[in-house]
This record gives sequence, structure tokens and C-alpha cells, in this order.
Amino acid sequence: MDRIQSFAEDQAEILNEEYRAGRLSRRQMLAGLGALGLAAMAPGAARAQARPEVVVVNFGGEAVPAFREAFQQPYVASGGRMVIDGSGPSNGKIKTMVQARNVTWDVADSGVAGTGELGPLGLLEEIDYSIVDKSKVDEAFAYKYGVANYMFSTVMAWDTKKVSATPTLADFFDIQKYPGRRMLRRSNQGMLELALLADGVPADQLYPLDMERAFKKLGTIKQHLLFWNSGAESQSLLRDGEVVMGLLWNTRANLLKRDGRIDYTFQQGLLQPGLWVVPKGNPAGKEAFRAIASMQAPEGQVKLLASMGNGPANPAAAALVPAELKAGNPSDPANIAAQAKISADWYEKHGAAALQRFLDFISA
Amino acid sequence: MRRPVFGEAGIYWMLVMPALLMLVGFYLYPLVRVLWISVMEPTPGLGNYALLFTSASIQRVLMTTLRICVMTTAITLVLGYVVSYVMAQASERTQRWMMLGILLPLWISVLVRAFAWVTLLRRQGVINTGLMNMGLIDDPLPLIWNELGITIGMVHYMLPFAVLPLLTGMRGIDRRCLAAARGLGASRMQSFVRVFLPLSLPGVIGASILVFIFSLGFLVTPAILGGGRTLMIAEYISVQILDVVQWGVGTMLATTLIVFIFALLAMLARVVDMRRLFGAS
Repeated sequence: MDRIQSFAEDQAEILNEEYRAGRLSRRQMLAGLGALGLAAMAPGAARAQARPEVVVVNFGGEAVPAFREAFQQPYVASGGRMVIDGSGPSNGKIKTMVQARNVTWDVADSGVAGTGELGPLGLLEEIDYSIVDKSKVDEAFAYKYGVANYMFSTVMAWDTKKVSATPTLADFFDIQKYPGRRMLRRSNQGMLELALLADGVPADQLYPLDMERAFKKLGTIKQHLLFWNSGAESQSLLRDGEVVMGLLWNTRANLLKRDGRIDYTFQQGLLQPGLWVVPKGNPAGKEAFRAIASMQAPEGQVKLLASMGNGPANPAAAALVPAELKAGNPSDPANIAAQAKISADWYEKHGAAALQRFLDFISA
Repeated sequence: MRRPVFGEAGIYWMLVMPALLMLVGFYLYPLVRVLWISVMEPTPGLGNYALLFTSASIQRVLMTTLRICVMTTAITLVLGYVVSYVMAQASERTQRWMMLGILLPLWISVLVRAFAWVTLLRRQGVINTGLMNMGLIDDPLPLIWNELGITIGMVHYMLPFAVLPLLTGMRGIDRRCLAAARGLGASRMQSFVRVFLPLSLPGVIGASILVFIFSLGFLVTPAILGGGRTLMIAEYISVQILDVVQWGVGTMLATTLIVFIFALLAMLARVVDMRRLFGAS
């Protein structure tokens, strides 16, 4: 938490906590993820032996043994070789590797801020869509330098003790109506979008973001704002009653809702993809894309939803989601319809500037 | 008897060589790289350094950092001085227990300590609930999510770093000087102000340098206890390097910080004997 945490980092943390809290046995957790790998058996076990090793990097913790069992073992069974590395693929680390011509990662868990900053600098391989199946992912989230791995949302949550009716995003900015502190993420992604939605910008006309307008809107409640760095922090600020309403990731909102008192809605939320990216000059070459292709199978993605709250990136998975999980699935068709979708193009051009300006705004 | 191949000085140099090589390889070289990047990215020149004078946000971050660090150093020094003074007078046994109390927090992660302060200081935290139950206040005091919270957390972290040099200095003070002052008719207050205090000043300066320089690198405590609203230079650098990958700006700020610290040390070296301060003489 020495810096602003990414969604993927937070996922590893949730899994860790759930396992420790005993809500998920190690066996269950691994089996759940294992099914993902089993269902995602790569085609052509016959290629065998000669296939290079694929290093998949995520943000560590319990997610490492989970991924190992889920992806590595079935991959080995199908003749491939895979290693899971939990050292955390931040933008800076990927840049260091590529520039030092010492790339050890093949597939990294990233997001639109990753493709946005690294892609234009020539630090990522283009996704090979002759191997990765474009039909197994929402077209809006299949980019040149990254392809959706799972979906998550930025949503509004509120304390039902202090906010009686289901509030709208406009109410979030109405301190008169619901007095009390509000909570935002300490990063622009999702926050500017929801400010604009609250200000009446239609979901399909969000981009290009009107930054002036967004910051003006945020400025109206600035003295009532707290900012979270990590997912765990967002959860505790709401749970401890430090804030009345907050914008946070759906996975954390889900955990809060399960404990009662806090409720949330996908209405006017922002749908965002977790993206697989491939660092330029990755050691395993095209094999990285075969690994990504194998992780597109819908059955496994549904298991991931059950254990971690990650929305399946493959639209075909929606039909397989059990009824009780539909409400909490960010990529459920009903929930998708309620939300705006993030634009990676915009982040590629303006992401860094927006983050700078956001940090300026909150610290001024 | 054969003369050694190397002179006496040569042998000493050889003994120092491994450590020296390590410093050059793992410390000096990366520092030079940082300096290099700061003038080469994104384009060669001093463009990044110009930001120090043109970017309002960088100036604000620097001012915030300076303000918080000066405040932290001042409060830490006052508190640390009192603790060290009491310790220096205490019996051996009491001193040992006090030392344990000072060192114990050092072994707890800075993150854990920050969250412990959240538990104590927040609206429904121990302090506010306690005060409200006693009927002393009606509304929770704003103890956290502001610079007050940050300062509390940082002073707590820094106290051992102030106490240790102060205590060393005070232990070295010859008690007979105080007795002499008293014998010559000085009051307790006078003997403290005119004898003890001046003699303890080197320790005070050493402790201030240590605390101030450490404070400059803080990022976890301000980020958590400040409610996310305070941005200090260390975190700003980390954002530049890890998130927006503008290494030119990040390394420029890092270089500026290093130069600033060296300048500070050089200035102080004119005032006090550095070798004595860090126990080298």
C-alpha cells in the first residue's frame, strides 16, 4: 500500500482474506480455480515437449498457489509449461524489464492504465488475435495491446443506516440531502466518469471526458471527501462508519453487502476490464497468446466469479452463471446495461495527465 | 625479513576495497543512473528541472513536504528531549525498561502502526468514543484525515530516532559540570539552561538531521492518516516511476531531494563537527 493500489492487486488480497477468514477452504479455493484451468485445456496436446515456458505474473499472495493449480497443472497436462510469478507487474517494473532487454514475464495482469501508458511507448506486444479468440470477449475490451481477462466495476455504495432509500449518483453530490462524508478512490479512473454521470452526461457520450466539468463537479463536495488507496481501506472506511457513501470496486462492495448495513448498486457504475498484456520481447513468444487463449473458456471464468467476484470476460459465460450469483456479477447482461463502459483509447491519450490532475486536485 | 609488496597504507586500502567496490557498484552507479535519466528523458536537457520553477503542483508537493517535516522534527525533538533527559537521570534498571519501550515500536511495521492510529483517532475510535461517553465533547474531534493525524503518526514513528542520539549525547555530559555550576550558586534552572542544554546541543542537531531526513521519505503514514488528501514528495516520485512512467520527472525529484539533503548536511558540517556527531572521533 505504499502507492495507489490496482484492482488486480486488491483481488489477490481479497482471496487471501477469504481464505484466512475460513470462508473459503484452501481446497475449495484451489479447486474452484483449478476447474478454470481444466476447462481451459489448450488445444493440441500433440505439440508437446518443444513448447516454451510461459511466465504468468499477478499480484501475489494466495492467488499464486491458486493460479498454479488452476493454470499451470492443466497446462503441463496438455504439454505446455507455465510458471506463476506473484511479484506484481506494475507499469514501472514492466518498463524496467523491457528497457534492460531482460524480460522474464510473458503474460501480465494489468488494466487500461497499463496498456495506456506502456503501449504507446512500444513496451508491449500486440495481442495476436489469430490465436486469442476475439469472439470470446466483448469487442469493446479487445485492444491492440491488451485483452480482457475479467471484468470489474466502480460502483456507488452507501450506509443504509444513514441513507434510507436507494440513492442516485446525483445524491452522492447532494450533501444537504444526505449529510456526511463521501469516499473516492485516490486515482482518477472511474471517479471522473461517475462525476460526469452524476452531472447528467449520458453514459454513451462520456468520452472524451470533459475534465473541466468533472473536476468542477467533484469540487462541489471537496471538503467532504476522503480518498482510499487500497481496496481494504475502502471497505473499512464504509464499515467503520467513517463515510456515508462511497465509490469503490464491486468486489469490495460485495463483501460489505454480505455483512449487512452497506448496500450498493451497479446503476450508473463504470464497467472496466482487467487486461492480459504481453511485455515486448517476452521470452516465450507466441506461446503467451496460447496461454491467454486457454484462459478464455467460460466455465472457468464462472468459477472465478464464485470465488473472487470477478466478472467473466467471455460473454458466453453469462448463461452459465448460477442465479444467486447474477446480481453480483459486473458483466451480467442486466448489470452491463446499467453501466457505462470505460474507453481505453481515452486513457491511452489522457490517462497520465488525468491522474496528475486528480492528485493535484485532491492535495490542493 | 622481506618487505611487504604493498606499503602499510596499501594494506589498509585493500581491506577497505571490498566495501568500497560494493558502494560504487550498488550505490554510486544507480545514483548516477538516476541523475542521468533526469536529464535525458523524455528529451536531453534541463527540461525536467525547469518544472521545479514552473509546475504549481510540484511546488505545492514540495511545500507540503517541507511543512510537515519541519513540524514533525520540531515536535519530535521536544518530546524526545524530555524522554532522553528523564532517561539520562534514571537508574540503570529503569533505563533498560524505558529503552525497551522506545525500541519496541521500531519493530512493528509502519503500516500496522498507521492503522493502529486510525483505530484510535477515527470518529468512532477509542479516543472520540471515550471522550463522548465521559460527556466532555458532543461531536467527534477531527483528529484524523488531516495534517494533525499525519503529524501524530509521524512523530510516533520518529521518536526513537530522536531519543537514541539525544541520549548518547546526554550520557556523555560530565555530571561534575552541573555540580560545579550548582556549587557556584546557580539555580537548578540556570545550571540546566547555561550548562546542560549547551552541552547537549550536538545531540540535538544530530537528532534533528536524522529525523528531518527520514521524514522527507515518508509516504505510507501520510497517505493513510491524511485521508488521502495529502501528497508528499516520496509518494509523488513513486507515482511518476511506477504508475505514469514519467521517469524523467521522478528521477529529477529524487535527484533534487538528494542534492537538498547533501546541501543540508554540508551546511550543518560548517556549524558542528560531523565526525563527532556520528561518533567517528
